[in-house]
Amino acid sequence: MSASADNELVARVVSAQNTAAFGELVRRHQSHVRNFLRKLAGDYALADDLAQDCFMHAWDKLQTFSGRGSFIGWLLKVAYTTFLQSKRKSKRYAEILDTAGRVADQESRSPVQPDDEVTDLDKYLAVLSEEERAIMIMSYACGLSHREIGDATDMPVGTVKSVIFRGKEKIRNSFDIKDHQHG
Amino acid sequence: MISKIINMAEKIKDAEDRLLESMFDSRPIADDGFSVRIMRKVRRRLWFRRLALPVAAVTGGAIAFKPLVGLVTALANLWSLIPADLVSGTTGSIPPFQTVLLGAILLAAGLLGMRLLEE
Repeated sequence: MSASADNELVARVVSAQNTAAFGELVRRHQSHVRNFLRKLAGDYALADDLAQDCFMHAWDKLQTFSGRGSFIGWLLKVAYTTFLQSKRKSKRYAEILDTAGRVADQESRSPVQPDDEVTDLDKYLAVLSEEERAIMIMSYACGLSHREIGDATDMPVGTVKSVIFRGKEKIRNSFDIKDHQHG
Repeated sequence: MISKIINMAEKIKDAEDRLLESMFDSRPIADDGFSVRIMRKVRRRLWFRRLALPVAAVTGGAIAFKPLVGLVTALANLWSLIPADLVSGTTGSIPPFQTVLLGAILLAAGLLGMRLLEE
């Protein structure tokens, strides 16, 4: 997946609102975005809804992509912002329901992964804060550089490094990851 | 040079990093109509945007037509109340009121159209 091909597709979308070029961008990156959001949200259905919103926001804001960093870095920034906005909205919604004296039946609403599908990774992610989780996923699952993660999360590179260090330390302290048998 | 060194330093990974990478690694998710759904939404939005301006203009025009006609008629009646000798003194230099009004409306519409085209 070359960066120059991505930039060419973006240029076609921005200059002529070329929907075919945007479709190609979606096909190329949907897996990364959905994987990122699935790990972050822990709820597959919600993650896929958020991924759809993310691509719609990307369509609206594509002209703001400067082409300096990688397109996937920019797209994950949009995905992360979409996730945070959705969380803020659902929190406000829960508060409104709470004020009205109604209990939101969240367990029955969202089909989260079944218990038998909880992986080691889910356990590791559970000990991390939301911000640490997002940064660790960007780094280890999406392969973004520290600079790209900094751009995506609006953080200085030094802060990104310290968040990764802290995240690794938390995982190390909670689990003996050296004993982990992969595959 | 410095950025290259930083990138190289970033790429040097210890065993723990490699282990974490392998744990975070996941299979690619099949498209399964996902991109088709997105493109359907995008096309719908595109059509909506293209149609929104003409539809708004036509609706606005239809709503504003009757009051506008009333306004023009009222102004024309007001014009007729002005004494003829007062008007005749200025007819040489100033065009009739209806022409001025029409010109102003056309100018405003033209400016609005230009701005919309620019956007």
